[in-house]
Amino acid sequence: MSLASDMIRGHTDTIILAQLLKEDSYGYKINRAIVEKTGGLFELKEATLYTAFRRLEQSGCITSYWGDENTGARRKYYSITPHGVEEYNRMVAQWEQSAGLLQRLIYPE
Amino acid sequence: MEYRIRAYVDELFQSAPRTQRAYELKVELTQNLLDKYFALLSEGKSQDDAYNLTVMSIGDVQELFAGLTEDAPPEPPVPQAVPVPGSSRSALVVTIAVMLYILSVVPLIVLSALFGGHGDGAVLGVAMMFVMIACATGLLIYNHMTKPKAQPYVMPGTVVQDFKEWQSGKSQKKQLMKSIRAAYWPLVLALYFLLSFGTGKWYITWVLFLIAPAVDSIISAVLSLQDRNGK
Repeated sequence: MSLASDMIRGHTDTIILAQLLKEDSYGYKINRAIVEKTGGLFELKEATLYTAFRRLEQSGCITSYWGDENTGARRKYYSITPHGVEEYNRMVAQWEQSAGLLQRLIYPE
Repeated sequence: MEYRIRAYVDELFQSAPRTQRAYELKVELTQNLLDKYFALLSEGKSQDDAYNLTVMSIGDVQELFAGLTEDAPPEPPVPQAVPVPGSSRSALVVTIAVMLYILSVVPLIVLSALFGGHGDGAVLGVAMMFVMIACATGLLIYNHMTKPKAQPYVMPGTVVQDFKEWQSGKSQKKQLMKSIRAAYWPLVLALYFLLSFGTGKWYITWVLFLIAPAVDSIISAVLSLQDRNGK
């Protein structure tokens, strides 16, 4: 589990951007979706998540705004930018290349 | 329990930099942790379990806080107290001048002792004293005139700077006046003693102190008149 986590953590940005492609979202909701998708096997730490948010925001991949909930809970929403979509596509292409290479390399002839 | 989570985050942010971004992050993090906590409760976890799981999911916040310091707006440049070049030379000149003032009485004392306090010895001693005083005063004036003015820090290109420049044209003359003023009274005093010792007519030489202010006023009047004509 922990080894897999280390590998996945290198793709935190891609994972977050993938979540935002569908719709704007906030921290807990994104993490919740990740947990559900992996059947509870993987979850981002809050610290990792917010560090990634800031990194992505600084590089112009995402923007943020404060939501206006009626319940009184104020959530910070994130939204992907066109530049973010470009970056996401580039990261996915990179991943596919790496995955293809690994697929060939890690099995014996 | 909800309160415990808030308290935990509060404590966590004790070490965070005090910035707007840190505050926003705290609000964001608290809300998301509460979301998670209530979700865990609704899954049937006990309050303690839910709290522990929530708190454990935060992870290492140090990298998070490290980023917050970088986001802090850069401090406006603080004007540094730059040591004025030549200020140590200036200090030396002043020191020598003061030493000259203090030592100026030594020749008088020594010569008076040698010659018994009367006659040529005393006159020579007094003369030397005044020479030394004159040198010291001269040094002080020279130092004052050549000292680069320590300008207070002014943002370039502002009205204040323009005003300062306009002002400095005037103030150069003013500084000359000030220097002369500073030297004037010591010189008068020196002249008084010189005349008194030289002539021995102590009963009349004090008139100098009546004449001196008059001369001072006249010089100022003449200079300010010139200044006005010059414009």
